[in-house]
Amino acid sequence: MKSKKFMLIVSVLVLVLGIASFGVMAADKLPVVIGLQGPITGPYAVEGEMAKQSVEIAAQMINDKGGILGGRMIEIRVADDACQPKAGALAAMKLITQKDVVAAIQTYGSFVVLPASDVYEKFKKVNIAYGATITDLTERGLKYFFRTCGRTDTQAKFFADKVVPYFNAKKIAIMNNNTSFSVGLAEETRAALKSRIDAGEVEIVYFDAINPEETDFTVPLTKLRETNPDVFYYTGHFPEAGLIIRQAREIGIEAIFVGGDAVVNEDFINIAGIEYAKGVYQTQEALIEYFTNPEAMAFKEAYKAKYNTLPSSPWSVYAADALCVLAEAIDKSGSTDSDVIADYLRNKMENFPSITGPVGFDEIGDRVGSSINLYVVNADGSSSICDTK
Amino acid sequence: MKIVLEQLLNGLTIGSFYALIALGYSMVYGVMKLINFAHGDLFALGSYLGYTLLVFGSSYATVTFGIWGGMIAAMLIAAIGIGIAGTLIERIAYRPIYSVGRLPAVVSALGASIVIQNGIMVIWGPRPQAYSSQVVPSVMLNIGGIKITLMQIVVLIISFILMGLLFYIVQKTTFGAAIRACALDRSTAALMGINIETIIFFIFALGPALGGMAGVMVGMYYRKISFVMGWNYGLKAFTATILGGIGNIPGAMIGGLLLGVLEMLGSVYISTAYKDVFVFLVLILVLIFRPTGLLGEKIAEKV
Repeated sequence: MKSKKFMLIVSVLVLVLGIASFGVMAADKLPVVIGLQGPITGPYAVEGEMAKQSVEIAAQMINDKGGILGGRMIEIRVADDACQPKAGALAAMKLITQKDVVAAIQTYGSFVVLPASDVYEKFKKVNIAYGATITDLTERGLKYFFRTCGRTDTQAKFFADKVVPYFNAKKIAIMNNNTSFSVGLAEETRAALKSRIDAGEVEIVYFDAINPEETDFTVPLTKLRETNPDVFYYTGHFPEAGLIIRQAREIGIEAIFVGGDAVVNEDFINIAGIEYAKGVYQTQEALIEYFTNPEAMAFKEAYKAKYNTLPSSPWSVYAADALCVLAEAIDKSGSTDSDVIADYLRNKMENFPSITGPVGFDEIGDRVGSSINLYVVNADGSSSICDTK
Repeated sequence: MKIVLEQLLNGLTIGSFYALIALGYSMVYGVMKLINFAHGDLFALGSYLGYTLLVFGSSYATVTFGIWGGMIAAMLIAAIGIGIAGTLIERIAYRPIYSVGRLPAVVSALGASIVIQNGIMVIWGPRPQAYSSQVVPSVMLNIGGIKITLMQIVVLIISFILMGLLFYIVQKTTFGAAIRACALDRSTAALMGINIETIIFFIFALGPALGGMAGVMVGMYYRKISFVMGWNYGLKAFTATILGGIGNIPGAMIGGLLLGVLEMLGSVYISTAYKDVFVFLVLILVLIFRPTGLLGEKIAEKV
């Protein structure tokens, strides 16, 4: 009897310990590692920092709900590319060579995504771009490349069809900063305006590039001033755009200033000074503050709770989108194999409710449907949507 | 004509920045035969120091000295700070390896440059910072149809005062004569009773101090500063030094101003995208026909 009782106790103990240790093992399951390549340093560091914060918030939201693949947590591993093409390819290599990195969210700046996506493709890693809009990126027949942001040609069309009539503009000046994104947007815009130009409705009076490394743009701006445009469309990035708007106003350019989708964020307002930033327009992908779907509300709440503010550019939210999309694809397909994930993203994902609304990808990896609006900077530094319809 | 005059003024403004930075390169090279590659980053450090002083000390400085007095105070403090930083770099990065030769010192200078640049990034963060308009008022002037900013005039006046002062010190005082003597021949100068250590100390304080002031003025003029800015300005200023004749102090001033004006005229008459090509073309031509630069003296090769 005694030994039976003892055996019972032992077996109960074993069972309890076993379950407990099983539980520990479940919680100890290896995390699913997702790489984030972004400009953590360099002139666009603000975008990298916001992307990191946004992705971490999204990962935390998924982990709080119990993770993916039956309880595995998501872990973010960051690689810095300083927004330089060469460093971009190296950062991609750095993520690829870490065997536990399943897929990557990659970077701000089309000219960095361009070489990096080739590296990911070569090593068969699914990579989703969040801030790279030039049209050609998805036109290269890549199998593992996707993007959650929109395309430049959509934006160019929007400028030509909505913004130009909105301001009733006749003379348009277009300036770019010689990066592939910026030149792309400028040229797509010129192409989109072609029918109106041929009809004699509008005229491009200025079309030139500046070097974003510079700090003094008075010469090109003086040339631009002499053409006396109604609308001045700048398709470059925020660090130099802040200087350009200031110098343009100081030498007496009074044209309506419209920026492309990389122009306005808090650094732009900081550099230009609110007295010049006020009244600047921008063709921009939808900003997070205007989303009201439950996913966006939850994201905003979590982000605000941690950082006390909201991301000031759309790109970092697209990075968070990319993470949600990857988590969903890995979870639903039940696999961390690149081919399975890529196949799921391309063929099976449809209207997945992500932070910036439903996500699906077309044949070449572009996001199906993304929204562009015209925004104006208010006197307090916030933005509001203009009714361009 | 109006445009040309405007651009000439712009060119002189940017040229005076180059000239102030170039002086630092030239002075150090003159005495030490060393290219201080950390100089551009000391300039950037000055810019950030001025930024901190103006943004965080602005209320105090403005109450005490008025808004312009506050700016001058910030410039002076930044100059002193960068002067100290310059001498520290000389102590830490150059002095221990002088005896080994000139090449290791150049490598050490590059190392110091990287350390300062990343130091700025660690302290102030990787994002570009801006001198806000509360700190630096923007006043537009319209003189006979030519639009210039008040800040441009301030920059030009301060730069010319600083350059004049340095010119006076180097050319007219006994101390300046000692510096020139060191530049000509260090060992003979030492035999004549000149304290080389003191001269080196002042060279490494004075040059970076001028660069630091230029940094504050660049911040006030363009407003945007970033931790990588030292490289670009450093390269241009170094070019100006070569153009004017390395080691020659008036040469650095003229080289800087000329470079600024050439850059502006190049972008007006040729193309903005090719203005650097134009600038370096002029540099190459000068070096072909006058290898020692515009004002450089013939240096006899030591056999």
